Amino acid sequence: MRGVLLIASNFAREQRWPILLLILGVLALALMGLTVDLQKHQEDALFLFKELSIYGIAFSVFFGGSAINTERRSRRILAVLAKSISRSQYVLGLLAGVALAAGLYCFTLGVTGTWLLGDIGFSRAHLWYLMVCLLSACLLSASVSVLYSTFLNPFLATIATALSLTLPAGTMRFAGAGWQNVLPVHTLMDVILQAMFVGNWKADWVLVGISLAQAALICGLAAWIFTSRDVAVAID
Amino acid sequence: MTPVLQFEQISKVYRPWMGRPVTALRDFSLTVEPGEIFGFLGPNGAGKTTAIHLAMGFMRPSSGHGSLLGKPFGDATTRRRVGFLAENVALYHRPAASLVQFYGALNGLRGADLRRQAAAALDVVQLSGEAKRNVGKFSRGMAQRVGLAQAIVNDPDLLVLDEPTSALDPIARVVVRELLLKLRSQGKTVFLSSHLLSEVELVCDRIAIVVKGNLMRLGRTTDLLHGSEQMRIVFRGILPEAVPGSMSVGGHVELLAQRKYLQPAVQQIWSAGGEVLSVNPVQRTLEELFLEVTREADAVSDGGRN
Repeated sequence: MRGVLLIASNFAREQRWPILLLILGVLALALMGLTVDLQKHQEDALFLFKELSIYGIAFSVFFGGSAINTERRSRRILAVLAKSISRSQYVLGLLAGVALAAGLYCFTLGVTGTWLLGDIGFSRAHLWYLMVCLLSACLLSASVSVLYSTFLNPFLATIATALSLTLPAGTMRFAGAGWQNVLPVHTLMDVILQAMFVGNWKADWVLVGISLAQAALICGLAAWIFTSRDVAVAID
Repeated sequence: MTPVLQFEQISKVYRPWMGRPVTALRDFSLTVEPGEIFGFLGPNGAGKTTAIHLAMGFMRPSSGHGSLLGKPFGDATTRRRVGFLAENVALYHRPAASLVQFYGALNGLRGADLRRQAAAALDVVQLSGEAKRNVGKFSRGMAQRVGLAQAIVNDPDLLVLDEPTSALDPIARVVVRELLLKLRSQGKTVFLSSHLLSEVELVCDRIAIVVKGNLMRLGRTTDLLHGSEQMRIVFRGILPEAVPGSMSVGGHVELLAQRKYLQPAVQQIWSAGGEVLSVNPVQRTLEELFLEVTREADAVSDGGRN
């Protein structure tokens, strides 16, 4: 477990500048919100919040899809895997690193959302539920992109991830609602995008649970594939 | 005694998505015993790094199997007892002490032990004074020394080094050489891949030379260097002109002769009235042996093509 945490914290450390940039972006937009009358622009503020949420998912895919490849190309992976770290621990560590980055992003978005949207009447409980949905979607997206990155380059892994995450949404239109629980990033995104100031909301914890369970399953599959992959290309 | 490192009939074929498969190792077998410094030599593309990466579990053999400290290649817990330094070492950009501690922690070291052993490792490679500097700002040689520090931080039983002195200055090379000898005196094993043949000749107990994925020579360094077919005959009392092929060296005359022609050569010297002072096998340098082996391998592969 300690190895996983070390790899996760190291990943977050290595990605500190993009993570910081994302967080500063959220904070900057929040500060800009202070300069306008948000009561008058409620819907705009909510739209911006939803847009920033979707960015979180996109960045999780990019972080997850490039993590292994970056380490392999830089050859830094060799010194890490030369220690008593199994391939499964390594994959889990990278995913935990993406989760840490996504968690920081969601937390910042949650805090600024509470501060701005909460003040203009948006339910704070609802907002934090949306952040849980967002974090679950980020984790699931990242696990899918990590899975593909174990055998594809980052570009193809990102395309494959995008296809995998949107395919169930498309299939759902023809094959029925059962597909809403297959890689339910689209369903979680829908929860976020459908959020409104007015009306009741209801937390769907089963959906969050299904999403996290699938993320764990996919992470296990990624670890299993990565165990059988050659991580070093001989240079001599 | 269980071998520290064992390759048994291992082959490794790279199969790119496009292009022809490349055989990096072919039925490769090798055993490294505990407590020795083992030199692993070969020209570029010979398969040395592939063999090392297989041993470290970075890749899987296409056929055959091997063991590291008695466990199959790829066993993560075994690597706790192994130190590894990769060729062209690549490290994270953080302060040297923090970096060595990170790698030590990955190998299960904790708390005061971790800090003490990381400091000791940096001390061994003479970087204690630079412990707080970011490795990203280090020269290549200094980074290689940090790489060596992370390899020894967990006090390994086996040290696997792939070109450890390639970027080092002569002073740092002496430090590394002394470190290797010290580790051997402590009963540790060192598996050393290097192109610096003079270094290998100085420290290695046994060497293997691999060319194009095939093991060409394996043996004790002294045996391989003495294994020349050439003999040096030193004599006096006659001029070099009396024995074709001989030459004057210092106050005497020398003749190099193939072992099988030794007796006629000595007879010739005696017939001309010379006095034979000594007859010794010519000791090759490792460089000469290396060139001989690579030429031999080239000749074999050329013969195979023709």
